[in-house]
Amino acid sequence: MKYEILPWLILFLPLLSAAVITLFTLRCKTTSSLISIGAIVAGFVMTVVFINANGFHPAVSETMTNWLNFGGPLQIDFGLKLDALSLMMLLIVTGVGGAIHIYSYGYMDEDPSKARFFAFLSLFTFSMLGIVLANNFVMMFIFWELVGVSSYLLIGFWYEKPSAGDAAKKAFITNRLGDFGFLAGILMVWGLLGSLNFGVLKGAMETNPAALGCCATIAGLLVFCGAVGKSAQFPLHVWLPDAMEGPTPVSALIHAATMVAAGVYMLCRTLFLYTPDALHVIAYIGGFTALLAALIAVQQNDIKRIIAYSTLSQLGYMVMAVGLAGPTPAMFHLTTHAFFKALLFLSAGSVILGMHHEQDIWQMGNLRKKMPITFVTFLIGALALSGLWPLSGFFSKDSILGQAYGQHNYLLFIIGVFIAGLTTFYTFRLFFVVFFGQEKSKAASHAHESSLVITLPLIVLAVFSAIGGLIGIEGIYHYNFPIEGEQSAGFIAALFEPFKASPVAALLGLLAFAIGLVAAWALYAKAATDPLPAKLGGMATAMKNKFYFDELYEATFIRAHDGIAAVVNWIDQWILEGCGIGLVRGGTNLSGRMLRHLQTGNLQTYAFLFVLGVSLVLYFVLRK
Amino acid sequence: MNSSLNFIGMEVSVIGLGLVLMLADLFVPAERRRFIGYLGIGVLGLLLLFSLGGDGSCSTFGSVFNGSFVNDPLSLFFKRFFLVAAILVLFIAAEFSDRLSEGSIAEYYSLIVFALAGMLFAASANDFVMLFVSVELITITFYVLVSYQRSKIAALEAGVKYLILGALSSAFMVFGIALIWGTTGKLNFTELAAVAGQYGDSKIFLLGVLLVLVGLGFKIAAFPFQIWAPDVYQGAPTPTTAFLAVGSKAAGFVLLLRVLFSAVPSVTAQWGNLLIVISGITILYGNLCALPQRNLKRLLGYSSISHAGYLLLGVAALNASGQAAILYYLAGYLFTVLAGFLVIALVLRHLDTEDISGLAGLNQRSPLLAATMTISMVSLAGIPPLAGFFGKFLLIKSAVEAAQLTCNHGYYCLIFTALAGVVISLYYYFGVIKVMYWSKEAKDLTIIELSAPAKVTAWVCILGIFWLGLFPNTVLNMANAAAAVFAVVVK
Repeated sequence: MKYEILPWLILFLPLLSAAVITLFTLRCKTTSSLISIGAIVAGFVMTVVFINANGFHPAVSETMTNWLNFGGPLQIDFGLKLDALSLMMLLIVTGVGGAIHIYSYGYMDEDPSKARFFAFLSLFTFSMLGIVLANNFVMMFIFWELVGVSSYLLIGFWYEKPSAGDAAKKAFITNRLGDFGFLAGILMVWGLLGSLNFGVLKGAMETNPAALGCCATIAGLLVFCGAVGKSAQFPLHVWLPDAMEGPTPVSALIHAATMVAAGVYMLCRTLFLYTPDALHVIAYIGGFTALLAALIAVQQNDIKRIIAYSTLSQLGYMVMAVGLAGPTPAMFHLTTHAFFKALLFLSAGSVILGMHHEQDIWQMGNLRKKMPITFVTFLIGALALSGLWPLSGFFSKDSILGQAYGQHNYLLFIIGVFIAGLTTFYTFRLFFVVFFGQEKSKAASHAHESSLVITLPLIVLAVFSAIGGLIGIEGIYHYNFPIEGEQSAGFIAALFEPFKASPVAALLGLLAFAIGLVAAWALYAKAATDPLPAKLGGMATAMKNKFYFDELYEATFIRAHDGIAAVVNWIDQWILEGCGIGLVRGGTNLSGRMLRHLQTGNLQTYAFLFVLGVSLVLYFVLRK
Repeated sequence: MNSSLNFIGMEVSVIGLGLVLMLADLFVPAERRRFIGYLGIGVLGLLLLFSLGGDGSCSTFGSVFNGSFVNDPLSLFFKRFFLVAAILVLFIAAEFSDRLSEGSIAEYYSLIVFALAGMLFAASANDFVMLFVSVELITITFYVLVSYQRSKIAALEAGVKYLILGALSSAFMVFGIALIWGTTGKLNFTELAAVAGQYGDSKIFLLGVLLVLVGLGFKIAAFPFQIWAPDVYQGAPTPTTAFLAVGSKAAGFVLLLRVLFSAVPSVTAQWGNLLIVISGITILYGNLCALPQRNLKRLLGYSSISHAGYLLLGVAALNASGQAAILYYLAGYLFTVLAGFLVIALVLRHLDTEDISGLAGLNQRSPLLAATMTISMVSLAGIPPLAGFFGKFLLIKSAVEAAQLTCNHGYYCLIFTALAGVVISLYYYFGVIKVMYWSKEAKDLTIIELSAPAKVTAWVCILGIFWLGLFPNTVLNMANAAAAVFAVVVK
């Protein structure tokens, strides 16, 4: 492997940047942001150089040093895994991340805590790269938690807003639930297979598929719990929409393009662990999440929340694809999604900036003339998300639908097609309301286009959202997950590949797109208020209120949790602290006070005690 | 005679220095006398440099005066130790001079230096006469040092108590020496070791050894001879207390090690249980009594009793690693305790009270002093990465080794007691820290101006504590070399 040092630099540069900003340059906004941007852009360049030198499939795919050696079987390496999967993710994280960093330079320009923001961003980048490059479960878990922490810091970045603080806590705590299962799964795998290294584990599972024995499904599902938390799958999906309290670049980077995708990445990395039963569960949880989120998105009015629910829905697609034994479609969709979802978020951010931090779509309208560049980039993002041929989203979504069809899982296939229609509907509902019709508020009439530092990343991302399906990304993942049969080569062949491979999926997907688009146009092209509640009645209210999941959790889990906490607190306060510790402490204290009375201050007593002591010692030794 | 001088050159220079300091009193005007101390510090610093460089009399190994004075790695270690302690105590004394009656500071300096001479002799003592003479040189000097603030009733009371109880213990010790000489006819440790085995059953001989140990137990304030410590620590001037806690205690330990492991190793081997019991009770007594204390110096007095207990744990282990651990622990204890007393001397010198509350708001009045005190307390409590932690670790490790070698379950009880003692001590040590940073009682928040020497002393102590905790190897190697002079007691 050439340039073995590069991945280490890529990983640690952002950490260095975070440390330097925190320790030295916190007072200087510009220097801090340039340091942070420099770290990630350098990371991107180094990734490209490394891939140029070694290709996407280096012969030796690991570089490591022994980190902790506890003696016995527990040895933990600090190692980097470098194969197609992680190298592609490196490109996404540093590439899309770099664009978002540059965008943040403009977006956060007026924030007094810009330096702190960039320190957090760098910390996040470090953690995310750590997940991507980890070659063993412990390292992945450590970085997994670090990502959770940086996400917490960034959601709560505007900590003076109570809602931001609450959202940060909600995200962190909800993730802990998933991480608990993840850790239990890791321990179980280690206990049964005796290793934590992905390569070794994979080898063990391949030589002996029954190595995990009867616990195989349970172990797999426990590990999957981690992904349920981080990728916000049902039933732990509730934190992601609230996480939109963070600054918009954060939503784009962490809660759309990279971190939430970490769950899907982890599933693909550990695909060898899952039994068919476990995969089944994963597929249905993914499919259900996708459907649920798409339905909720139809009735949201906050521009960022709509995109957030769309993210949930797309993550559901990816998890469903993994469950359908299709890691390549999942990773392919993850990649294209990173492009177009980051693009949509950043465009939305541009809109929010133009509207002076107004996020309600019913206050906007007719922005296509005021913000032409944003309008075009948003359109490209929306079309890519909805899956219009030949934009990137079409190819990746089609490969997922094709996977479902190919696996003869027609239920999930139909759900998938239905969601594709819904996706187009809610996306273009948003699009028409924001960019067409009449200005619905004063702010909308005074909106203005954003500066170049904001629009430039939009344009770059728009280009990749458009062509992402045609530049051979899917083929790269085949290094990791080889398939039988031949790959069609060439640009034109790639363009028409879906129609050849699985015509039913491709055509039904396009049909769903068309229906969704027409419906959205009919309902929303000129609407000043939402006409849907009148038509759907109770269903619309339920959608608007996110099917009452927050209320349900509040009434059950949180109430129960408060009850248990009160009981435990009582036990701690009265039984442990009062009787247990209190008695020991009181006894110790009392004996101290009593002993003090020996110390009378009277010299005669002292002399007597001294001689008494001498006699005691003499008796102790000489009594025999 | 000339050849003997090669061996005791350092001691002679120190006594000479003491005389010079005393005479300087006559020629220097009263308001300038506190600077005489820096002359003393300079000379002692030179001697320390010589000893560290491997030159000087203390590095010439061998014995003189019919074997009653010996220079070996052990004495070398302790002589360096005593020099460092005396230098730091002189710094503290110079800061404290305005609390003593006007102009009397020069005499105070010379007494410290005379006590140092006694400690240097103690480090090299190899027979009972030398032991007794050096102990008396130290103790009698301390009688004066303790009651030096003649106008303070408390100081006088402390002096009288120390004098009478000290005389009592000396009486026991000299009686013990007489019994040993009467039964064996030997006073030299090396000669005695050769014949001690034959007298293992003689109760008169054992009585003699025990009475010598009583005298030494008084010096180190081990149970049941600890009763004087809190009163004397509290009443004495702060620099005296500091020197008492470090120098006098270490002198007691070097003599104790010599007697137990050089003079009567065959008897010591039978006394594991005695030492375990004394060590355990001393630890518990010191820590428990310190709990309700509000007077800082009294608190440190009890704390010094508990530390004597920890040190005895290394003696009780009866092995080389235990002896080395004692030396290492003392080195850490030196910086830690002197740091604490430096802060007490600087902060409380202008207050009537010596109550802990006098430290309230110290972090605002002088962050350096607050940090010094915090580090000192944390190290005393034995928390990594400071010197106190590593010392306790070594002591307990030696006890574990002893337990594995001898299968004596008493060691495990002792280790448990020591750990319980650490937990108890956390409470009162952190109580001091709490007052400095979080107390709301602070009335006086004026900034404390520190002189340059005071700052240097604080930094030396802090660096010493961290150095010993983080890079233990240098001192540990010295300690191991020093402990190698003893024969293996338990095989």
